Amino acid sequence: MNVPYSWLREFLPDLPEPEAVREVLDALGLAVEEVHRLPAPPKGVVFGRALKAEEIPGTELKKLEVDVGREVVTLVSGAQGARADIGLAVARPGVVLPEGTEVAAREIRGVTSEGMALSPAELGVGEYAGGLLELPADALEPGRELAEVWPEEVVFELELTPNRADAFSVLGVARDLAAKLELELVEPAIEVEESPVARFVTVEVADPEGCDRYLARYAGGLEIGPSPLEAQRKLLAAGLRPINNVVDATNYTLWELGGPLHAFDLEEVKEGIVVRRAKAGEKIVTLDGEERRLTPDDLVIARRTAGGTEPVAVAGVMGAANSEVTERTREVVLEAAHFDPVRVRLTARRLGLSTDSSYRFERGVDPNLPPRAASRFLHLLQRWTGCTVGDVVVDVGGEKPRREVPYRPSYANRLLGTAFDAGSQLAALARLGCEVAGQGEPYTVRPPTWRVDLNIEEDLVEEVGRILGYEHVPTEPLALIPAPDNLNAEEPYRREEDLRRAMRGLGGWEVINYTWQSPAYLSLTRAPEPRRFLKNPMDSSKNALRTALYPGLLENLAVNREEPHRFFFELGHVFLDVEETRLAAVLGGPLLEAAWQPAYGEGYPAVKGVLEALAARAGARVEVRPQPHQPLHPGVSGTVFWNDEPRGFIGRLHPEVEEALELGPVHLFELVLPLPEAERTFRDLPKFPPARRDLAVVVPEGVPHAEILDLVRRFGGPYLESVELFDVYRGRPLAEGQKSLAYHLTFRHPERTLTDAEVDGEMGRIVTAVLEAGYKIRE
Amino acid sequence: MLEEALAEIRAAASLEALQEIKVRFLGKKGRLTQAFKAMKGLDPEERKARGQELNRIKQAIEKALEEREAEIRAAELRARLEREREDVSLPGLALPPGGYHVSTQILDELVDIFRRMGYQAVTGPEAEDEFHNFDALNIPPHHPARDMWDTFWLEDGQLLRTHTSPMQVRYMEAHTPPFQIVVPGKVYRHEATDATHEAMFHQLEGLAVGEGITLAHLKGALLTMARALYGENARVRLQPSFFPFVEPGVEFLVWWTDPRTGEGRWLELGGAGMVHPSVFQAADDAREKAGLPRVYGNVTGFAFGLGVERIAMLRYGIPDIRYFYSNRLAFLRQFPRP
Repeated sequence: MNVPYSWLREFLPDLPEPEAVREVLDALGLAVEEVHRLPAPPKGVVFGRALKAEEIPGTELKKLEVDVGREVVTLVSGAQGARADIGLAVARPGVVLPEGTEVAAREIRGVTSEGMALSPAELGVGEYAGGLLELPADALEPGRELAEVWPEEVVFELELTPNRADAFSVLGVARDLAAKLELELVEPAIEVEESPVARFVTVEVADPEGCDRYLARYAGGLEIGPSPLEAQRKLLAAGLRPINNVVDATNYTLWELGGPLHAFDLEEVKEGIVVRRAKAGEKIVTLDGEERRLTPDDLVIARRTAGGTEPVAVAGVMGAANSEVTERTREVVLEAAHFDPVRVRLTARRLGLSTDSSYRFERGVDPNLPPRAASRFLHLLQRWTGCTVGDVVVDVGGEKPRREVPYRPSYANRLLGTAFDAGSQLAALARLGCEVAGQGEPYTVRPPTWRVDLNIEEDLVEEVGRILGYEHVPTEPLALIPAPDNLNAEEPYRREEDLRRAMRGLGGWEVINYTWQSPAYLSLTRAPEPRRFLKNPMDSSKNALRTALYPGLLENLAVNREEPHRFFFELGHVFLDVEETRLAAVLGGPLLEAAWQPAYGEGYPAVKGVLEALAARAGARVEVRPQPHQPLHPGVSGTVFWNDEPRGFIGRLHPEVEEALELGPVHLFELVLPLPEAERTFRDLPKFPPARRDLAVVVPEGVPHAEILDLVRRFGGPYLESVELFDVYRGRPLAEGQKSLAYHLTFRHPERTLTDAEVDGEMGRIVTAVLEAGYKIRE
Repeated sequence: MLEEALAEIRAAASLEALQEIKVRFLGKKGRLTQAFKAMKGLDPEERKARGQELNRIKQAIEKALEEREAEIRAAELRARLEREREDVSLPGLALPPGGYHVSTQILDELVDIFRRMGYQAVTGPEAEDEFHNFDALNIPPHHPARDMWDTFWLEDGQLLRTHTSPMQVRYMEAHTPPFQIVVPGKVYRHEATDATHEAMFHQLEGLAVGEGITLAHLKGALLTMARALYGENARVRLQPSFFPFVEPGVEFLVWWTDPRTGEGRWLELGGAGMVHPSVFQAADDAREKAGLPRVYGNVTGFAFGLGVERIAMLRYGIPDIRYFYSNRLAFLRQFPRP
């Protein structure tokens, strides 16, 4: 919302300087996004009156004879609106335009153009560059410096929050400033001279839920033409494009009061107006030239015809070409109505058509504004054109009463932590237009109908805070003792932090990857099929929610191809049938390296070491049982058992994936959180010496260490303290396809020293078990 | 014999050679031992004189042996030290240093600040339902306020949460006041990405609920955070704003000095306010449905939320938010933390 300073000042004669206003606007919650300074038209640009216009044959150009005071000059213009009997902004040769070009005489098609007729954008006074600044022919004396009557302007670009529908207007902003700064507010003039009219329209509202107020007024004796200079200046400063006096007067009123209006050519709607639901499939060509199909959820303004009714506007959104104001229009019907916000919003969304009108209706327009907005429009139009204003007022639906909200100043202080006295609180509300009644708490506050956002006591507390100022809110410490059920609420997060810290301590770099992936990439990396898809992805190929973390980590390996250390981990969410939190790590090279030294810690043992260290830190038992997993090399793949529960997988990436991604050997694990915790009880320190024995078992290549470990533990008796693998041997004298696994076994009794005989007995049972399992003992 | 022994000892080059000499002269069958044995046949006078002489020789040999041994040991040590010399200027073995993503670091820092104030950190789902992300937060369907959050919708009707605020209601559904929590996490906005906009980023949400909690307590919490982040002279300003789930709603600004230029300015850090009564009501309604008692009828509370990446960008002068999830080590390693 662009608010020109000079427009505000019309309502607030005592308004401080723009810099000060900017700060107050921010403090009011009408956030100033930017302050634009628009210059006056450049020096040397004068008002010119076009006397004659003729086409230059064979071109789209026109040759204009323009009175610029002391002389009549010839100008060539290609603009559509270039015609006789209008006022123009003329730059003679030598004038420097704001963007730096110097105007020069030019010969075009044999005609010498002694200067330029300028567009608002060329003048620097507005954004519109599609046509000339067109003024009434008698707006000024020809030759008058435009800058003398067109001062520079300061425009506040406000970024308004959707609750402040009332502030989408110059008057709304002025009201807030008046309340905050305690300034006098001069209301916009609305008086008109009315006269009887020969004919007018009837209005039937067939859908009162969609339209609770419909007011129609008459203006006649019109001559359609450019609006006065000052009106155009303000519209341009606000970022609007001047069109003609009638349309400009509707836009002017909209911008000023926040009330959308629409003007129909009376001739086109003279049989009567009906406000009704659209029929399924009904079509309308809106003012932007688009043909649009409507549904019964849409509300339309229709005109009566011989055969029935026909839409002439999409209510609250946009009018139709069939009834618009044209150069031939002499009489208009002005519509000032109030439409249901949700209906307008849904229609605007469905049509993909957001207009200044729909934008305001969906946020909430003062339901009692229509009569006032209509009067303001008629006042402006009469002042600008001297038109007649009809004394008929067709008004369907009536005034809405104000809401009543109970208000306790003491509650405001309890919520804000302030000590505002009741008197100043109530005065602040009154300055905002509220009616305040009552002798004590609770007071009855009736907010003005333009404040559709004030419905409950807390809303009023905010108003008091806004107007009296949050700088009066003190700073206080809060000490509270949480209710008991909150005390361990952060346990899950703490455990995530612990894992992250451990992974970092082991040397991993944490990464954070996007939640979305392409189904093709997930399939390429052998991740689970995606289950959940984005309806509106940013990149249409990446429309799936990730089903594992490691595919993203593989991308991190690829993007960091040149780096020596590629050990990444991520803790994040994946989306299978349920949303899971996971931890994954990938290793794309050795753990330790120096270019001039051999690398240390590569391959599966390295990633397994990371997993084991992670478990050791957490005090957890971790075991890997060989088992194929889709993403992994079938021969280097296992299930991770964390405290005896299967929680994920570990191994080498499937070679097909390694090749497809042009990665070397990649090792990885991925775990589903939270990881189960084991009961931890203290074991007394050993008091008696251990007995150690070694055992080497010869097994076929396919038998995993884990199986032998299980066997040894199962038959090792109560005093077997630990089993540690110390050698894996292949080769002579073992047969081909055999390997020897050698273990240190430690036995210990908690209360005495074990005898050799006892230990031999335990070893005997283990050996028997091994032999019975079909393996051999290597002596 | 003495001269001979001393010459040999001087010539000995190793401890082994020295040991051989020692055995040859002083061993059981050594020459000196033999000479002692040969004294048996001498008369007492002669034997005494001879004994004294031999003892002198023995002592002299022992002393020479000892000295020579020390010399040899010193020489060996020198040789060893020379042998073991290394170029200490060579680069070390590259241990993986490990590190946190910078977004995690800022989140950790914020969580830590609020823990010191007694808050607990909790997390929630990223794929949310419309109820928790919008409806329960007083953002009804078809309300223009929904335009404040450009949303990624899922085909199953859920959405990727647009803020961490859904956890306000989720937490209240399961817990009773009073409490103070912060919610770190990923959020999503359906926005075209550029240097300052990302479709995915991180937020920290805060919520304190209890009896008698005021906007002044919110200001106190935010000021403490600002001081912890930006130094003890940091200032905080509240400015009216609108978030449907708080009333009054404010934006909080912190006076921030750019470490690179030394220039100060008010920085919009996030949104905040007093919890809207309809949010308490939504939480109580959900509790009732789940068979839990209504407990949010007589409390007030404040909530706040702030973006994490922006703090990092300002602190380190990171020019483009798109660097964050490129996960290039060249980026990641620039934010070391002990």
